[in-house]
Amino acid sequence: MITDQTVFATVATILVFLGLFSMFYSRNLLKTIVSFQIVVFGANLALFSSGLGQASNLMANTLVLFSIVAGASVEAVGLALIVLVHRAYGTLDPWKIRRLKH
Amino acid sequence: MAAEIALLLCAALLITVIAAIFSKSMSVTIIMLFYASLVLGIIFTIYQGVVIGLVHITTFAGAMSVMLLTVVLMTGETKLDIGNRTLAALLAAITILVVAASSYSLFTGAPSSPQTATQPATDIFSFIWMFRPWDLLILIIIFAAAMIAVVNLLSSKEARA
Repeated sequence: MITDQTVFATVATILVFLGLFSMFYSRNLLKTIVSFQIVVFGANLALFSSGLGQASNLMANTLVLFSIVAGASVEAVGLALIVLVHRAYGTLDPWKIRRLKH
Repeated sequence: MAAEIALLLCAALLITVIAAIFSKSMSVTIIMLFYASLVLGIIFTIYQGVVIGLVHITTFAGAMSVMLLTVVLMTGETKLDIGNRTLAALLAAITILVVAASSYSLFTGAPSSPQTATQPATDIFSFIWMFRPWDLLILIIIFAAAMIAVVNLLSSKEARA
């Protein structure tokens, strides 16, 4: 019997691994931020699904709220860093930035 | 809630996320990420997580999409052109479908409970619970209209002329 919790937990795992895969293989820092957001989506869904089978899911909801705020803050800082990196190096390709550094 | 609805929403979530990851155009990536945020917010909302659904939609579909778009426009690094009007029209049609599905799920779910005598009258956030379907629907329509405008702005100049 497939329950909602099982479906959400499976999709959350897929989202986290998709995000990590994209984060490692992207050649653009903006795509890295997008991948990070997908990982945050997976984490939020996993936290939310953990509270589905219980009588009160207030703890899970609180953790999701915390995760949303933390993820959005990290993403905002990452975007600001991307603007600074683009001003300094003129590119968003991490491999080119690495070469330009030396 | 039936597992079929969960499967349907999760399929929509996975499709939008995969499209966001593997898209060549950054505009399509941002628009697909917007849809993914919206679908995840709808999942939270219909599974009794109304507040986090609202916060999720406001934060990720609203603020983060705008911030990503601003950074893309500031850096000018990536290809922004969507390509043609057909794809833009398709994205707009998907937006309208999402709005229709959201309104259906919001208005056919559990009825919004009016403020009862057991709840304190001084609760300043009680209006959120009383008008829950309406404010969420209005929020989704506003975001969808904004994304249709973005799609229209970013479609190719040659096709628009």
